[in-house]
Amino acid sequence: MTILLVEDDVELARSLIDRFQDNDYAVLHVGDGEAGLKEARRNEFDVIVLDRMLPGLSGLDVVKVLRHEARMTPVIYLTTMGGIDDRVQGLEAGGDDYLVKPFAFVELLARVRVMTRRSANHAPRLFAGSIELDLVHRTAARAGKPIELLPQEFRLLEYLMRHANRAVTRKMLLENVWEIHFDPHTSVVESHISRLRARLNQGFAVDAIQTVRGIGYKLLAPN
Amino acid sequence: MAASFAVLFLGLAAGLIAAVLWIVNDTQTSSLVRANDADIATVDNGFRDEGIDEAVEVTKQRLGSSDSVRALSRGAYILLEDRAHGKRFGNLEGFAPRLGLFDLTSTGSHILGRGVLLAPEVYLFVGRDTAEITAARVRIVKAFGWVIAGSMLFAGIGGTLLRVQLMRRVDAITRTCEGIIAGRFNERILIRSRGDELERLSVAINEMLNRISALLDNLRQVSSDVAHDLRTPLTRLRNRLEEARGGSVTTVDYAAAVARAIDDTDQVLAMFSALLRISQIEAGTRVATFTQLSLSKLLENVVDMYRPVAEDHRHVLSASIQPEVGIRGDAELLTQLFSNLIENAIHHTPMHTTIHVALQSSEDAIVASVSDDGPGIPADEHSKVLRRFYRLSRDRSTSGHGLGLALVAAIANLHQATLRLADAKPGLCVSTNFC
Repeated sequence: MTILLVEDDVELARSLIDRFQDNDYAVLHVGDGEAGLKEARRNEFDVIVLDRMLPGLSGLDVVKVLRHEARMTPVIYLTTMGGIDDRVQGLEAGGDDYLVKPFAFVELLARVRVMTRRSANHAPRLFAGSIELDLVHRTAARAGKPIELLPQEFRLLEYLMRHANRAVTRKMLLENVWEIHFDPHTSVVESHISRLRARLNQGFAVDAIQTVRGIGYKLLAPN
Repeated sequence: MAASFAVLFLGLAAGLIAAVLWIVNDTQTSSLVRANDADIATVDNGFRDEGIDEAVEVTKQRLGSSDSVRALSRGAYILLEDRAHGKRFGNLEGFAPRLGLFDLTSTGSHILGRGVLLAPEVYLFVGRDTAEITAARVRIVKAFGWVIAGSMLFAGIGGTLLRVQLMRRVDAITRTCEGIIAGRFNERILIRSRGDELERLSVAINEMLNRISALLDNLRQVSSDVAHDLRTPLTRLRNRLEEARGGSVTTVDYAAAVARAIDDTDQVLAMFSALLRISQIEAGTRVATFTQLSLSKLLENVVDMYRPVAEDHRHVLSASIQPEVGIRGDAELLTQLFSNLIENAIHHTPMHTTIHVALQSSEDAIVASVSDDGPGIPADEHSKVLRRFYRLSRDRSTSGHGLGLALVAAIANLHQATLRLADAKPGLCVSTNFC
């Protein structure tokens, strides 16, 4: 798994490189936009992690050029620009995810993992382990047994299934299931997960959802 | 400006004088010429009737006495002469016949008169002194001159007086403003109830100064609040880290201390984010991205989101949301607004409290409210709780940074909605009124 890291903060870059390597990622680091563009054109990377504020060519412009050249490598921004409009701007330029500094490394790692396994799955049915989701009729079943879910629980399960066997963080769930980008001071995610668990696990011995300490949750889908 | 007005005034005056002079001149000249012509006609009649002798008689009569050469009070000058004998009669020296209307100078007088041929050898000239006309002209110019000089003098004096008075008042205003610039923020311009424009300006400036003063006070307050409320968690963080450095023994201890330190840092960062968000919202940059949205659906989503949370905290969350109520706004900010209100209700009320979310639309207003039957907020603190960092004394020990309601207020403001806190008897009702 290869990552292109475009970051001019040398200390941050060094720390990220170490931690990514600990997680079996190969990282190529450059310090400015032009070099980043050059490397991205030369090689195929699994993910590009890039700072928005770069000397010379900005991160935003790098993404715009890449997309214009039909390079669809997934891009995650790392940035201090946490304004409400900044995120929208970044995503509209063609980026896929947006992480505001400072961030927990596990957050970045989880998002990178999810992105490297991105598949444009528009199928009407989702399968993960013994769980089956009908996206058209909005029904769910585990080992053939139908399960009643509320709308938000359904969306939560869908997201977990699309990223089965990968840890997803609380923030990722808030952003993708509920589309909120602020931090609620309550246990929104936990409460919904516990409800989902209760319904999924009723009559089953195995907990379909695993809590990954310090990171988030993972849907288990043994193949 | 004043100079051009003076020039304009003088120009107009000159024009006026010229017009008057011309009229007077014209009138007097016409009347003089008519008198001349009348005399000529009389003499001519005498000549036709009885011949030249009769003409001479008439001329004598016209002159009003014997043939002595002297100017009469009527100022008429007559000359009658014929080819054979030269001057027959008149008070002018003979001269070569000249016909028509013309000027003549004789013995120091300026004469305007007409010469005619009564017969091929008989010449008659009648003229009159133009001295009066000239005199009249001079009198007019003199009179006008005095009037203009007088009025210009008055205008000058009056104008200067007005200007001096004006400058004095403007100076007073300028001095006050300079005092304020120098830092004496409490100075204001003195108002003397004169009611004129300059005073209205002064009143407006004073109002503006009041507003600036209020804003500055607010800024000072916010800065000191921010300094205080950020110092607290940062101090705590520092203490923890110092303890960790001095007191930790095992790696486990260090790990625990570091974990707590990270939590503290996260708390400070959350505070910064919230403050930034409030500032951004207050700066109003989001209004451009407003869309038409269903407030009903938004509230239903928020309620669905928090129902499990409320239950886990042993609260009851209920809702009565009128469907298909639409407004123009920012979906994310509004979601945050109502999330904050519900979370507040969850955190600051005891177990078994009922929290109710309502949406009602009527002709004049759309009201969205979050109410609970908990301990409520004392009426005298209703306005204070919307301030940044304000926390009720009973909540001071709980976690939280006191920015939730400030954010709610900022978002409501951005949407031009009014926020109202009311006693729900018992409990608190926070309603957002979208007009």
